[in-house]
Amino acid sequence: MAADFWTSSQFKQLLDPEELNVVHPLDKERGITAEDYKLIKFHISNYIVKLAQYIKVRQRVVATAITYMRRVYTRRSMTEYNPRLVAPTCLYLAAKAEESTVQARLLAFYIKKVQSDEKYRCEIKEILEMEMKILEALNYYLVVFHPYRSLTQLLQDAGMSDSTQQTWGLVNDTYKMDLILVHPPHLIALACIYIASVQKDKENTAWFEELRVDMNVVKNIAMEILDFYDSYKLMSDENRISAAMNKLP
Amino acid sequence: MEEKPKSAMEAFEKLEKVGEGTYGKVYRAREKATGKIVALKKTRLHEDEEGVPPTTLREVSLLRMLSRDPHVVKLMDVKQGQNKEGKTVLYLVFEYMDTDVKKYIRSFRQTGDNIPSGIVKSLMFQLCKGVAFCHGHGVLHRDLKPHNLLMDRKTMMLKIADLGLARAFTVPIKKYTHEILTLWYRAPEVLLGATHYSPAVDMWSVACIFAELVTNQAIFPGDSELQQLLHIFRLLGTPNEEIWPGVSQLVNWHEYPQWTAKPLSSAVPGLDENGLHLLGEMLHYEPSRRISAKKAMDHPYFDGLDKALL
Repeated sequence: MAADFWTSSQFKQLLDPEELNVVHPLDKERGITAEDYKLIKFHISNYIVKLAQYIKVRQRVVATAITYMRRVYTRRSMTEYNPRLVAPTCLYLAAKAEESTVQARLLAFYIKKVQSDEKYRCEIKEILEMEMKILEALNYYLVVFHPYRSLTQLLQDAGMSDSTQQTWGLVNDTYKMDLILVHPPHLIALACIYIASVQKDKENTAWFEELRVDMNVVKNIAMEILDFYDSYKLMSDENRISAAMNKLP
Repeated sequence: MEEKPKSAMEAFEKLEKVGEGTYGKVYRAREKATGKIVALKKTRLHEDEEGVPPTTLREVSLLRMLSRDPHVVKLMDVKQGQNKEGKTVLYLVFEYMDTDVKKYIRSFRQTGDNIPSGIVKSLMFQLCKGVAFCHGHGVLHRDLKPHNLLMDRKTMMLKIADLGLARAFTVPIKKYTHEILTLWYRAPEVLLGATHYSPAVDMWSVACIFAELVTNQAIFPGDSELQQLLHIFRLLGTPNEEIWPGVSQLVNWHEYPQWTAKPLSSAVPGLDENGLHLLGEMLHYEPSRRISAKKAMDHPYFDGLDKALL
């Protein structure tokens, strides 16, 4: 859905990093920690990506679904909103909002293919019920702006069209963290371009300066992304993930 | 943590059914806590199959974004409830408006009077302003018609409603209720099967509404797609490649009777010269030549109107 980011609710709802990963009291009772939150959201984002590959939806839909999921957990507990069900439901909802509807029946079918663990199984009815709960949690704000929109144009302008694939991949990876809840999408796009130009050893200082954006912010986002890559091995450690997931009901 | 939100039935008292919208009934209701009168739009969910209809999601999310504009109907809240069979229904809570442009025009048609030209001007300006706001946010309405323009009789405020009900690339062909979808406000490129839409489709509808406000009669009252085109051609002349490059490539293009353009004043008597000029700018065949809503707001026709109040 095309629209203007600056007048959007997304702009007004951007969060401070401290507001993220505040563990809900109900989750605290189960011994779930802020670190568990990060791990679970990371794992669930990957789950959404895998499901999306099976049902074949555009990257936009995946990005919107993950954004919904991450927004839900700034307001609701994982105890009441089980991530194993929230993941496919967010994908279901995002597909509708982005006008490429996926049948709930199909989704329930692919869940079994993607996850052998019985705990992930769900009935169509459960997805539809969770859809209503998520709509309420999101307060019916469904339009999400993503870095993809400005990416191609920015790359072209920077004379870096040959780095499109690499940068696109970087942007995809930013959804494994909470960046989209904290920063305006075009700054995330610029941070990814910044990383790509550093990796390619391309001198782009003049181009970035002409953009009249706060380069400190862009560099900070880039640092966050690089920090994330540093911790990637630790994040994707199966044992740590299942330890966190096992604290869920 | 949070207070449990009241269900629609607890929070509102339904007063009367005021209409049948595209996706369900509309009620006038009173908010129990404040006494405020609202419009409740009830949306059926076909829960057994696919939950909330995508069109409803689209309308809600677009309104969440657009309903800050004074000329777009205000969505105050969304509530979930249950109907008698225990199925989930969705209530969209809108500010209540007591009439719409369709009813307003009808009231004049019945007495044989014309709407005062100052009021036509004011309504048209508000319409252009609302449309400009939607277009500025990348949203096309695609189904503008007098019935979708709500009004307050006392203040003469106009607000665009039923937003975004149409999907991205198609105009709805049939309604879910018995109401037949009107073709009267549909742009020629849509009738001819163009697959790519631009804001110009809404401007065509704005033009048709403009003419109807002046004469109390629909300017192109077709009852089939072909009829609709012929009505248009009879007044504006049959288009050809010269005046509308690419027209013969459109899917539904055929050979049509050849008419030459008549002056607009013959169809809209009583409209002043500036008004006729603006109408003409909105009725260009080639969509890219049609005036934008934003530009229309600066047209000399609106000179002398106190825009600050609108």
